[in-house]
Amino acid sequence: MSKVESIDHKVISGISANSGIAIGNIVCINSNRRKVLPKSISETEVDTHLKIFKDGRSALLDELSGMLDYLDEQSGSIIDTQKQIVLDSEVEKRVESLIKNELLSSDFAVYKTFCDFIERLKESGSELFRQRIVDLENLRDRFIDVICDDDNSFSVKKGTILVTKELSPTELVSLHAEGLSGLVMEKGGITSHAALIAQSLEIPCIVSAKSATSKAFNTKGVLDGREGVLILDPEKELLDSYKSKLKKFKRAQKRLLDNINEPSETKSGTEFFLSANIEFESELNQLKKYNATNIGLLRTEGLLFSNKTAFDEQVRFYESVLSATEGSVTFRLFDVGGDKLNAKIPEEGNPFLGWRGIRMLLDEKELLETQLKALLICAGKNKGRVKILVPMISVEEEIIALKAIIEELQNKLRNEGIKIDEKVALGAMIEVPSAALNARNLTEHLDFMSIGTNDLTQYTMAVDRGNEKICSLYQQQHPAIWELIKITVEAAVKTNTEIAVCGELAGNVLGACGLVGLGIRNLSMIPNAIPRIKEELISHNDSEFNELAESFLAASNTTQIKKIFEDWRVH
Amino acid sequence: MVKTASKFSSDFFIHFYGYKVNGKSILGVMTLAAEHGAELELEFDGSDEKEAMKTITELIDNKFGLKDE
Repeated sequence: MSKVESIDHKVISGISANSGIAIGNIVCINSNRRKVLPKSISETEVDTHLKIFKDGRSALLDELSGMLDYLDEQSGSIIDTQKQIVLDSEVEKRVESLIKNELLSSDFAVYKTFCDFIERLKESGSELFRQRIVDLENLRDRFIDVICDDDNSFSVKKGTILVTKELSPTELVSLHAEGLSGLVMEKGGITSHAALIAQSLEIPCIVSAKSATSKAFNTKGVLDGREGVLILDPEKELLDSYKSKLKKFKRAQKRLLDNINEPSETKSGTEFFLSANIEFESELNQLKKYNATNIGLLRTEGLLFSNKTAFDEQVRFYESVLSATEGSVTFRLFDVGGDKLNAKIPEEGNPFLGWRGIRMLLDEKELLETQLKALLICAGKNKGRVKILVPMISVEEEIIALKAIIEELQNKLRNEGIKIDEKVALGAMIEVPSAALNARNLTEHLDFMSIGTNDLTQYTMAVDRGNEKICSLYQQQHPAIWELIKITVEAAVKTNTEIAVCGELAGNVLGACGLVGLGIRNLSMIPNAIPRIKEELISHNDSEFNELAESFLAASNTTQIKKIFEDWRVH
Repeated sequence: MVKTASKFSSDFFIHFYGYKVNGKSILGVMTLAAEHGAELELEFDGSDEKEAMKTITELIDNKFGLKDE
């Protein structure tokens, strides 16, 4: 027997869906999914089966909602889609028709309905949908389990590495609670739901591992998520090397979490502030978890999308956000295009360069004044904590016009005897190149500026990141962006105006280091990015950050900048 | 789109390569597997059909309002 063959036999490889190392006992589940056989029912049973379907559906929806507590925003949206599918009107229509007209049992009616849709998806042959098929099959089986009140779930011991054909998000979440340490799946791609949830639960995971369930057996194993391999029954030497890697990894993880309660200071003792970008009330509990005192960007568009723009509804939402923290909250005025309004507007040839943000707000007086009034009243009740941020400023006149409206509203409130905050802070999003280049003149009217690097990149690089053909040109780390940020920072320093960054660049390790190097001390990001950004920022001193920023500005392209950062980090 | 369509009382169907699916059904729309640039024919029928058509076509024309930041 050749050596290669024996090695082959002991390694199962697939595609890395989440990095990390797991060492533990392998449990291999090689069962095929159930088949549901057609069962006829009598006319008198129709109502019962319709009720079984509806009850099963509510139970499944409850189960899915219950998972949301464990998941981050991205994985949460997966669950929302699954809920939408469960509630699909076409599913309901077909299931009910199969029960009523064909006199079939509820479990088979659900099974058949889903299978029909899956068949049609298979016919379409699209790769993206092939991954959705696995998700749909899982959802179908879980639906039937719930209807039949079967508990097909299984449990694992702490530290287990599971090898399976496929796994539903629900199963993964409950196995995670039992202490699952690693996951290998035969099916699914890196964007299948189980894979995305493995990422948010930080479980090392391999997908598309062909015939894994027939190759694996119950023994000790090492899963190397980054390399996409599962090593069965590893030799002592290899095992030891993985053990020490895992130890290092765990230590690093622990340090990240410990750091949260450390002071936010660079090695030179310069204080910095990491705050949170928030959109929904459900995200507010993350503030405590990551020890973020301030909300550096509160998006308010959610109110528009859910039609909650009435004055009272706005006040309620803002108050709820303010009560979740003792720090300041930066409220960004509605940042949408005219297409999101009910107003009848002519179609725009180029909506991203069109009537949006402050341009739209200044025309839609009632919408703007209602929002401002709600914010100003909240500001009066929470002095010093409400900051108003204006999106899409491209010329000075816009900020002057807005300021006049705010003053008028403040006067009115004062005359009505309502408590106001005389010094409510007003800031502009710097996300259009003209605003960055003209920042020095804008600061005259502003208390603070917040750089939105996502849109700034879009408008500077002239690229729509959603366009697959050109999205590689969407480079937030490009030297041109750094130059614009530098100009903005210089304007802020000269005029003693507060400056922050709330785009994706702030929540990226390279970006955060460069921004601090340019002298920015306020970074706002998705809350779960805070630990790793903090770890990096407390590990270097000011002159190192400054040198890094200098070399970013001197670089001629993004590849160079990435290389510079890698070298800088290891020195 | 499915969410938006569901707000209207009119029926909404999408025709694509000889298929006809319910535009208010996420699974129906998924099975179309229409890729970027595909030509679709939309059918609206009901009391608020005009408004529904306007809203849905705007949504499609604006690339479903996808915007970052």
